[in-house]
Amino acid sequence: MDHDEIMARVEELIAVGETAPRVALDEVNLPMIRHWAEAMGDTNPRWESVAPPAMAQVWTMYGLDPHRPAGDPLHATMRLLDDAGYTSVLGTDCDQTYARHLVPGERPAITTRLESVVGPKQTGVGEGYFVTTQNTWWVAEEAVATMTFRVLKFKPTARVDPTQTVRPVVNRDTAFFFEGTAMGELRIQKCNACGVLRHPPGPVCPECHAMDRGHVVASGNGTVFSFLVHHAPQVPGKQLPLPLALIELAEGVRMVGAVRSPDGAALAIDAPVHVVFDRIDDDLTLASWETGPGRRVRTDEGSEEGVEINSDLPPVSLPITPTLIVSAALATRDFQDVHHDRDLAVQRGSKDIFLNILTTTGLVQKYVADWADHEGRPDARVTACALRLGAPAHPGDTLELTGTIASGSDTEIVVDVIGTVSSGTHVTARVTVQP
Amino acid sequence: MISFSGAAAIAGIGATEFSKESGRSELQLSCEATLSALADAGLTPADVDGLVTFTMDNSSEIALARELGMGELSFFSRINYGGGAACATVQQAAMAVVTGMATTVVAYRGFNERSGMRFGQVSLGAAAQVNTNGLDNAWTYPHGLSTPAATVAMQARRYLHDYGATSEDFGRVAVADRRHAATNPAAFFYGKPITLADHQGSRLIADPLRLLDCCQESDGAVAIVVTTTERARDLAAGGVPVVAAAQGSGADQFVMTSYYRDDIGIPEIGVVGRALWAQSGLTPADIPTAVLYDHFTPYVLMQLEELGFCGRGEAPGFIADGAIELGGRLPINTHGGQLGEAYIHGMNGITEAVRQLRGTSINQVDGAEHVLVTAGTGVPTSGLILGR
Repeated sequence: MDHDEIMARVEELIAVGETAPRVALDEVNLPMIRHWAEAMGDTNPRWESVAPPAMAQVWTMYGLDPHRPAGDPLHATMRLLDDAGYTSVLGTDCDQTYARHLVPGERPAITTRLESVVGPKQTGVGEGYFVTTQNTWWVAEEAVATMTFRVLKFKPTARVDPTQTVRPVVNRDTAFFFEGTAMGELRIQKCNACGVLRHPPGPVCPECHAMDRGHVVASGNGTVFSFLVHHAPQVPGKQLPLPLALIELAEGVRMVGAVRSPDGAALAIDAPVHVVFDRIDDDLTLASWETGPGRRVRTDEGSEEGVEINSDLPPVSLPITPTLIVSAALATRDFQDVHHDRDLAVQRGSKDIFLNILTTTGLVQKYVADWADHEGRPDARVTACALRLGAPAHPGDTLELTGTIASGSDTEIVVDVIGTVSSGTHVTARVTVQP
Repeated sequence: MISFSGAAAIAGIGATEFSKESGRSELQLSCEATLSALADAGLTPADVDGLVTFTMDNSSEIALARELGMGELSFFSRINYGGGAACATVQQAAMAVVTGMATTVVAYRGFNERSGMRFGQVSLGAAAQVNTNGLDNAWTYPHGLSTPAATVAMQARRYLHDYGATSEDFGRVAVADRRHAATNPAAFFYGKPITLADHQGSRLIADPLRLLDCCQESDGAVAIVVTTTERARDLAAGGVPVVAAAQGSGADQFVMTSYYRDDIGIPEIGVVGRALWAQSGLTPADIPTAVLYDHFTPYVLMQLEELGFCGRGEAPGFIADGAIELGGRLPINTHGGQLGEAYIHGMNGITEAVRQLRGTSINQVDGAEHVLVTAGTGVPTSGLILGR
C-alpha cells in the first residue's frame, strides 16, 4: 500500500466524522478509583468521593478483549497503517480538559473522530505517520471531558549497535572530560591561573601559558550555533539521519554533539538546547543535546558558574519500578503488552517495559495537585492537562519532576511540568488548575 | 635575500587517466604520471634530484625514486593536511630549486581514492591515530560527525544563516564546474553537464549539502616538474613561472573542524591570499581565471570572499550571473574542477592552470596572463599564482 492509497482511506475515515457514543464498561466506581490511587501512590482523601480527572480516559478503555467495534476510527487507522508496514506505535501528545469531577454511579460515554493523519515523516525512531483523534466524554447530554490524542505509527528502523560507536582517543590532557560525562557532568577545562574556560581542552592555557588546569561543570544549557543532518554514508553505531550541531554553551565555549528532538521540531540556529548523556557502555558516555529550554542536570556547588534548578514547585524524584509500571498500567485498564511483558517489549524494539501515557498523566497531575494542596489549596481542581511525551521511562530509572508557574490568577494557575529520565525528557506538560 | 617571485617555474605536467577503478597500484600510478611529466619537460628520471608529495600519499619519495631509477636525491619533503598540501608541493619544490637545494624537483600525488580507501567514508583510522589529530577527532567522530561532507555542512549552514544564501547559490558552483567538464575529454563527467534543477534534485548527503555539492572520488595521479625559470626556458615545454606561492593556517586551526573561533569560515585561505597578493604585487582584478579547490561547493563561495574577489557574504551575488562560467568575469575550474574532472587532491587544478598559461586549455580563457590556484580549505592550505 503506498502513500496515496493510505491517504485515500484516511479521507474516508475522516469523512465518517464523529462516532456514536460508546458507553463505558463500568460506572465510575470507588474500587477502580482506589486501585488507581494506590498504583499512583496518590493518598489524597478526596478520591474517596470523586474520581481523579486523570482517570477520564480510564472509564472507556477497552479491556483485554481484543474485539473492537467496527466504527472506531483510531483502531481502523491503526489497522490501515499496520497493513502498510507501520507496525509500531508510540503516544506523542495527549491534551485533556475536564469540565468537572466525575462521581461514582455516573457512566460516561465516549465519541471519537479522526482529525488528521500526517506523514510519512522521518523521526528518531523511524518513518511514520502522526495520527490525531478528537475525543469527548459525555454524561447524558453533558460534555464532561475532552481529549486530543496523537500517536506516531511507525516502521521501526533497523536497530544499530551503539557499541560500534567510534571511540575517542583520550590522553592525560582530555581524560577529565570523559570521566565527567560518565558521571553525568559536562566539564569545561578552566585555567586555574587566569580563569579562562576552554573547549576542546589542552595542556597549556593559550591565554597565559599556565599549565595549571582545572575544570568547571557546565550548566548543560546552550544554543545551536550551527547544525547539519547527516544522511550518508553510514556511520558506525549511529541511526541515520543524524542531526549534529555545534552548541554554544551558556559558559561561552562551543562543543559538537548529536541532537535529539523529542518534539520532532526542526533544528534552528539559536534554538535553545540542553545536555543529555548517552551512555554507550562502561567505557564511554557521550554528551548529546536535546531541543528545548534546558534545566540543570547536575549542580556544581563549588563553582560560580553553577546554575540553580529552574523550578517553582519542589522537585520530586520518583523511582520507576516494574511494580509502578505494571500496576498503574492495569489500574488504567491499559493491557498493551509493552507495559507488563518484558520479553514482548524487547521483541518490539524497546529495551524493557515502559510507563504508559495514562500513568504519566496521573503522575503529572498528582505532582501539581500535591503542590496545590501543600500551598493551602486542597480544593484546587485540574481543569486541563496538555502533555507531550519524549524518552520512555523504563524500570530502574528515576523520573525527576520539576514545575514552573507559567501564569497565576484567582481563577486559574498554569504550571509547566518537565519530567526527565536518564535518557532525556520523558514528558513536558502544561497543567491548568482552578484554585 | 633571494628573490622568490618568478625565479622557479613549472617545466612539465603529467597525469594518468582519471577513473573510478585504475586497476593498478598507487605507486604505479605515480610513476606513470611522473614519467609523463618528465617527458613533457623533455627530461628523464635521471635528471630528478628532488621529490615532494603529500603526507597522506601512500608512495614514499624513495619508493618512487627506486622504481624510476632516479639515483641520488638531495631534497625530499612532504606536506601535511590532506588537500591543503596541493599548492604547497609546488611551493616547496620552487623553494628548493631557487635556493639551490635541488635542480629538478617533481611534485606528485597518486591514489586509488575510489577503488581503494574512499575519503568520503568514515575513516576509523583517522579517529584512532594516537597523536594530536586523533585527539582533535575525539570531539567529533564519536558523535557521528565523521565525514568531510558533514564537517563542511556545519560551516555551510552557518554561512546560509549569516548571509541569507541558499542551496541554489551552492548549486551554481556545481553547474559551472560541470559545464566546463562537459567539454573536457579527460573529465569523468565529459559530456554530462547539469542544471540547477539537477542539483536541487540530488539527494541530501549532509543537509544542507546535496550529492552534487560534493566532489567526486577518483583514482589517478598527477605529477609536476619544477626547476628554475632560467633553466626551464631551454626545456621542451618552456616554463610557467611561479609568481607567488604561500601556505596558510588560521588562528585556532583544526583539520576540517575549526569550529571554536568566532567566525567558523575558512580564514586559512585568507592568510594564503594576502601572501599571494603581496608577493606578486597583483590584485584580484588582475586574475582572469582561477582554479578554486572545490571539494565542496560552499567553500568556493567562501574562497571568493577570503581572496578578495568580492566582499564577505557577497559571493552569491558575485556568481549569480554566470561570472564563474566560461565567458564570465572570472571563469573558475575550466577543466571541470574536482566535481567535474576528477578528485586528485587539487593537483589536477595546478596542471589546468599551466595549460591556461600555455594557451592549451580545452576551455581556454583569452589572454590569461596570471592564474590563481588554491588548495584544499577547511584545513591548513596553500595557493599559487602562476604566470607566463
